[in-house]
Amino acid sequence: MENTQKLLVVDDEIDVRNFFTNFFGRREIEVLAVPNAEEAIKMVVSQRPKAILLDIKLEGMDGIETLRRIKELDKQVKVIMVTGREDDEAKQETKRLGAYGFIHKPIELDEVEKLVMKLFPPK
Amino acid sequence: MNIYTISSLSAFVISIILALFVLFNGLHDKSRRAIIPIIICAGIWCAFPFMAAVGGINNSLFFTRLVYIAAVFTAPFFLNFGLTILELEKISHEKNLIRLSFAISIFFFLPFLTSSFFIKEVNLFKPYFTIRGGLIYLLFIAFFGIVCLYCFHKLFIAYKEAKGFRRNQLKYVFLGFFLAFISGLLHFSTSFNIPEFFPHDFLVVACMLVLIYSIIRYRLMDIRLAITRASIFIAVYTIVLGIPFALGIWFKPWLSAVWGVSWWMVPLGLMAIFATTGPFIYIYLNKRAEEEILKEQRRYQDTLKRASLGMTRVRDINKLLKMIVYTVARAVRLNHAAVYILNKEADGYILGSSRGSLNMDQIQTIGLDSPLIRYLLSSKSPLLLEELANNSSGRDDMPILDEALEQGRYQKNYLDNLLKAQLYTLSASVVIPSFIEDDLLGFMVLGEKRSGSIYTEDDLRVFTVLASQAGLAIENARFFESAKETHEQISQAEKMATLGTMADGLSHQMNNRFHAMSLIASDALDCIKSSDSKNSSSEIKELLSYLEHSAQRIKSNSLQGGDIVRGMLKYTRKGETGFAGVNLDELLNAALEMLQFKIKLNEIDIERNYPKEETNLKANFTQLQEVFFNLIDNAYDAMNERKAALKEPGYRGKVKIVAIPDPANRVTKIIVHDNGLGIKEEDQKKVFTPFFTTKISNRKGTGLGLYVIKKIITENHKGRIQVSSIYKQGTTFSLELATADTAEHANNAHSKGNIEIWGE
Repeated sequence: MENTQKLLVVDDEIDVRNFFTNFFGRREIEVLAVPNAEEAIKMVVSQRPKAILLDIKLEGMDGIETLRRIKELDKQVKVIMVTGREDDEAKQETKRLGAYGFIHKPIELDEVEKLVMKLFPPK
Repeated sequence: MNIYTISSLSAFVISIILALFVLFNGLHDKSRRAIIPIIICAGIWCAFPFMAAVGGINNSLFFTRLVYIAAVFTAPFFLNFGLTILELEKISHEKNLIRLSFAISIFFFLPFLTSSFFIKEVNLFKPYFTIRGGLIYLLFIAFFGIVCLYCFHKLFIAYKEAKGFRRNQLKYVFLGFFLAFISGLLHFSTSFNIPEFFPHDFLVVACMLVLIYSIIRYRLMDIRLAITRASIFIAVYTIVLGIPFALGIWFKPWLSAVWGVSWWMVPLGLMAIFATTGPFIYIYLNKRAEEEILKEQRRYQDTLKRASLGMTRVRDINKLLKMIVYTVARAVRLNHAAVYILNKEADGYILGSSRGSLNMDQIQTIGLDSPLIRYLLSSKSPLLLEELANNSSGRDDMPILDEALEQGRYQKNYLDNLLKAQLYTLSASVVIPSFIEDDLLGFMVLGEKRSGSIYTEDDLRVFTVLASQAGLAIENARFFESAKETHEQISQAEKMATLGTMADGLSHQMNNRFHAMSLIASDALDCIKSSDSKNSSSEIKELLSYLEHSAQRIKSNSLQGGDIVRGMLKYTRKGETGFAGVNLDELLNAALEMLQFKIKLNEIDIERNYPKEETNLKANFTQLQEVFFNLIDNAYDAMNERKAALKEPGYRGKVKIVAIPDPANRVTKIIVHDNGLGIKEEDQKKVFTPFFTTKISNRKGTGLGLYVIKKIITENHKGRIQVSSIYKQGTTFSLELATADTAEHANNAHSKGNIEIWGE
């Protein structure tokens, strides 16, 4: 099944979720935002987003485990990890699990915009 | 009985009483030990007429010879006493003279005592009593005369040169014994048919009275108690033993009428009863008498004892010192009193508190090498001005044995005079030291009593107890103060440690908040930018530009806040325990990056002198970051202290960091030099000890910085750290750390937001 033109944002900070929803919403991208791993997995199954911005630090199940589950469910989805911490080990692990890329906080908006817009070219 | 026997008996009794006084007063002084035998011998000798009379016609010769055993030893004991109070008895030839006189008495006169060569016969009641002697008796008179005259000669010379208190003491000793000596001469003269016109034993009574007077007046000892004790003793036993005796003598007819042949059972029974009760009566009376005599003394001694018990409860040193001085001066009624205590920084004893008529403020400090301190340290006992006056003279007739001794004596006199002068300046009658083990903690200076009375030995004992209690209390207060300080420092350090662990979690939270804020601001900006305001009114446009500006400010502020917090995060992070190649320049950058939040780096110059790329250390980055952070932070404080202390115009703080590789040992020497105030020499040894701090700034150092640095360098890195400093010029820390060939530049990228794309 084809992935939809949707972007899933997984972050436990409501302000972060709101930001991405508004920011990419204005760029004509449908954004789904959830605060935790369980809902993220439900969304992957039900909405089949094309790409996911996944915070590595989540309440409950952490980002790496979530990544592993998501990749099991959907090999096509492009998961971009977001982290505030310098952690080489985690970085290598997510790379091995098939993450698409890695974004460091604080987020450089221009770069993220470029990256996401490349994945969701305007129609 | 006639007047001669009465004089004989009274001389004997008073001598024995005096001997008892001295005995009851304790024998801890050698002059006291020496006076007892001479008094007893003279007293027994005086008993001659009485004993001869008791012996009657038949036994008078035997009793006289018995008495003469004591007479034989009178002269040697007198010599011994005279030389002892002149402190000459240790000089070898004087000592030999004493020994010789005893030897002559024992081996020459004593064996002849029973022969008629010595005492041929005794004439009683002419009315005086006369000895008819043989050849040996003449020799004995000569021996007696020579020995006594020699001793008087010594006493007289010493008396002439002595001063003050000592002079009086010698005067009375001389006078007293000279009377006794004349008595002896009168006794001898009767043997040469010169009639005794005057009962000479009264002269011995006079001698004893003079001695007693001088004892009381000039305190050869504190005799009041001893007199009382001896009097009570004698009175009680005179009654106890006298009543049954009198009963036996005067009431014999009456008793035998009532009791028949066994009349003697009554006095005997009484005697048994009295002898049993005697000691109890004595003890009881003695106690009452002591209470009466020592009422005043006991009163203040009790006050002082109570005070000394309460002292350890006072924890404030100043209050304590005030209390000690106040209590002593008031209780004993002194003209003035003062306490000095050791102050190591001042290199001497400083006035802790004073009270009374004299203004002690001009004598604030007494140096460690002053005569008084030296004296107290060596003697460890109370110093009396009176005794000092006593000690420094009286040796002047000592033969000069050699140059060195003369020199020593001169020096001693010189020191004594200095010491006296010092006591006069302090107006001190007594100085009581307070020792804890061998350390002279301080001393009390006591002036004269308002009553003008002397310091008794009991007083000194109480003061000594008080002083040692005071010492303990001072030590206690000091300990309490330092414990309080240490406790504060520890809790401060604990707070810092807690804060450290909290900071990790805290800064994460804050970082997230700042991040969220920056995103919200970005969102607003993005929203404004993408909104189409071409057709809007100018008011709306103005409003939008205003909001845009605000959002921009919010964004940049929250990003900056995030930077600060991430800097903290890096600093507090504990995780990285590993060792790796670390570039010194990067390390310093990281340390300075942290420091800029604490100090104003633009106020000082930082000079780095080493090849940037090649200076690499095998180290733990975070730990060394802390080391340099602290060293530069300390340097900054020292510069501000120098600014405040020296007020040099145009002064600018500078930290110089130099690295010198030592390839042979695979170490790098790093020198951190600052031109701050520097560390005083006495503090340099202590800078690495925990809780040591000289910082007086209001944010007060924990005293742990350099301690932790030393631990990091020496224990964790097996390196070395040394400090050298010149006060008012600056401080240099030299570190030695293992060299690394390369450095990992891993930590460079993370401060910037960036993206890595790996793709599929």
